[in-house]
Amino acid sequence: MGIDVNIRVTGGAGQGVHTVSNLIMRMVAGAGYRFHVTQDYVSRIRGGRNSQGIRIGSEPVRAGREEADVLLALNPDLLPDYLPAVGEGGFALADVPSADPPLFRAPLKEMAVQAGSPILANVAGTGAIACALGIPLEIADAVFASDFKGDFVEKNRAALRLGADWAKENLPEKIRERFRLPARSHSRPIILSGNEALALGAIAGGCKFAAGYPMTPGTGILSVLANEGPSVGLVFEQAEDEIAALTMAIGASYTGARTIVATSGGGFALMVEALSLAGMMETPVVIVVAMRPGPATGMPTRTEQGDLEFVLSAGHGEFPRLVLAPGSPEEAFDLAQRAMDLAEEFQVPVILLTDQYLADTVVDIDPENLVVRPLRRHIVRGDSIPRTRQGKYLRHAYTESGISPMAVPGEPGITVVVDSDEHTEDGHLSEDHATRIRMVEKRLRKGVTLAGKTIPPLFTGPPNGDLVLIGFGSTKEVIEETRRILAREGRNVAAVHLRQVWPFPAEEIAGIVPRFGAALTVENNARGQLARVIRSECGVRIDGTVSRYDGLPFTPAALARDVRRRI
Amino acid sequence: MTGRYETDFENAWCPGCGNFGILNAVTMALEATGREKHEIVLVSGIGQAAKLPHSVDVNVFNGLHGRALPAAAGIKMANPGLTVIVTSGDGDIYGEGGNHFLHNIRRNVDIALFVHDNQVYGLTKGQPSPTASAGWTGSLQRSGVISGPFPPLAVALALGCGFVARGYAADPAFTSDLMLQAIRFPGFALVDILQPCVTFNKKNTYQWYGKMVQKLPPDHDVTDREKAMTLALEWEERIPLGVLYRREKPTFEQLHPQVPGLPLGERETPEEAVRALLLRRRAVPG
Repeated sequence: MGIDVNIRVTGGAGQGVHTVSNLIMRMVAGAGYRFHVTQDYVSRIRGGRNSQGIRIGSEPVRAGREEADVLLALNPDLLPDYLPAVGEGGFALADVPSADPPLFRAPLKEMAVQAGSPILANVAGTGAIACALGIPLEIADAVFASDFKGDFVEKNRAALRLGADWAKENLPEKIRERFRLPARSHSRPIILSGNEALALGAIAGGCKFAAGYPMTPGTGILSVLANEGPSVGLVFEQAEDEIAALTMAIGASYTGARTIVATSGGGFALMVEALSLAGMMETPVVIVVAMRPGPATGMPTRTEQGDLEFVLSAGHGEFPRLVLAPGSPEEAFDLAQRAMDLAEEFQVPVILLTDQYLADTVVDIDPENLVVRPLRRHIVRGDSIPRTRQGKYLRHAYTESGISPMAVPGEPGITVVVDSDEHTEDGHLSEDHATRIRMVEKRLRKGVTLAGKTIPPLFTGPPNGDLVLIGFGSTKEVIEETRRILAREGRNVAAVHLRQVWPFPAEEIAGIVPRFGAALTVENNARGQLARVIRSECGVRIDGTVSRYDGLPFTPAALARDVRRRI
Repeated sequence: MTGRYETDFENAWCPGCGNFGILNAVTMALEATGREKHEIVLVSGIGQAAKLPHSVDVNVFNGLHGRALPAAAGIKMANPGLTVIVTSGDGDIYGEGGNHFLHNIRRNVDIALFVHDNQVYGLTKGQPSPTASAGWTGSLQRSGVISGPFPPLAVALALGCGFVARGYAADPAFTSDLMLQAIRFPGFALVDILQPCVTFNKKNTYQWYGKMVQKLPPDHDVTDREKAMTLALEWEERIPLGVLYRREKPTFEQLHPQVPGLPLGERETPEEAVRALLLRRRAVPG
């Protein structure tokens, strides 16, 4: 990687950390550079300790870094936590009475007041950073003009310029030289978080009904669906609880709407009853489980991959399901579209398994690289609805694939009957044991058909070697950067990213693992849940797990250190 | 039972069960709506009452215990052209589904809700439902129910439900008329139906109800909410039957900007619309 500058902005909730981060990423993107933002925040409205890391590069940036080159501490009280992580040659800015390098005393409040509003200290700080990076301030003017109204536009411009002027005079030439980004041709990327990308992917996949009960970190998905719904005729409703959210979605899905719900582990626990209902009624529905550390309330705003085994086994009774685990915002956009389609094709619940890290990861994306797949509908209508000789429609007709043609209520001449009880082909409840056997087998046959359409894992690195690292979901890009770090050191390491964790791609994994001297899973959980699934599904040897369960995501440098220790 | 909606489903209710009267009332009301069977969805939860939809030849969503209302709400929001009716038991709607009962009244989705109110769980063999009177002895409450009864009509009125009525299983013609009014009412409409349980409820019998129920006089002012509340809480001296309260207000479907139009399942998603959403997220505007 050529340029690699990591900026950390920290402050209490309500001090405008997010505003700084948002402004810097938009200026950086406008200046033709790439970035990756990770968010670390506390579960409170005011105060506490929030931080965002904005890692900037000339090539696509896909993971964060712990060491900061530039630190802006909006709350100086947080300096003891963050200053030690400023790397050699880096600098820090804070509004403190006096300072020694690498910390510089930046009179942020004074500049803000001079600009016309004391709340603009964060924008003054942004100006200082922009100056150090050599980013033209005019890029920010376009952002201010579109985001703000009235004289606040001018006040923001003034604060930004006061900050930049201060940096020009007070930061040593050497520092400004070191971090100056060479001029590049401007690009016009879009900016997406994992949550936004997933929600927009669902919309692109034809989603028309969404329900949910707010729960971090899934709420961001609901807000995109609620706010963008009007332009695509999507109905969003905030439910009284997660039980209602999923049940409403299943009701809407029964009428033929593509539906989604989004929550985190605790909310999903409440949805489990309805998950089983979707399995029994063979109703398509997409459920986003954005994981956070548990058990119970756990750490509400932090990250973990601790619910893998939970989503694989959730729901009473046996029924097929699909579990997809996107590894980046781009993949979230793609897999959410496919989830919408596959849910309807196979009439199964589809779980999109993400976590706080991916939900809140923000990257720049060239919109031309996002594929909008043509919509395929799988619902039968009018004359194509199969009927018995008596003219009846059988919602759960026995078929070879296990998939029964799905019609919806409102079709003249037929009725659509569904039941949470075991049922006959026409949907009416039945306690007949022979029927039970045939229906169980029909549903499971559908699972076999589904397994035949697995979205394969992604493999990078040499075809065989000393070590293969295996992960699912949000660890994708961190593992990939780690693999490259290790490859540069001459190590023969490959990486596998599972985009689909159920039905488990057993054949692929069983084919890869034996080609390497050792296999480790990399998991943001304590028990190595993926390793357990691989062992039970493929019978191959997994030598261990690199775990992280402090509530924070992996970073490539730290992961590389952990892996070296295991080789 | 009239022929038009007949199915050959065997519902396994006890002889004399109030559900038969309610089933008669439902089918009479459906006949009177003039709606075709494919335009009607009967939604229920789990319990003896919840098996009723299987005996009626219309679209059926027989879901989970307690969860009939959110499923019905989802159906109605996604396709408001369907006539959506929930018919289920008191334990289902007021107990397991109590939260959904509260919030769907607030939501005011155009659903007619018929609750088979027999104060007892029949399918699990004789435990008190939320409407059971204190002191009632059940198989799990040998020394009597301690909790006071849930007052469905009063709760619905408190929440601003626009149509609140009480029927009686032994009077299908009368109850059927209430049901028809509820179906035609634009908004959430509750008909709580007193239903003797011949097997498990030895107190609130046909004879007992026969003495207690009293139809509201024709001059009852259905727009008087305070009067309706007084009537809703009457139980010891007499039990009023009929429409206690009726006042229209805008429904969820009318107020939600995205509900009107084609059923959600028939709406398209043009690629241009998706592209436009993506491009609105340009790093730098203009």
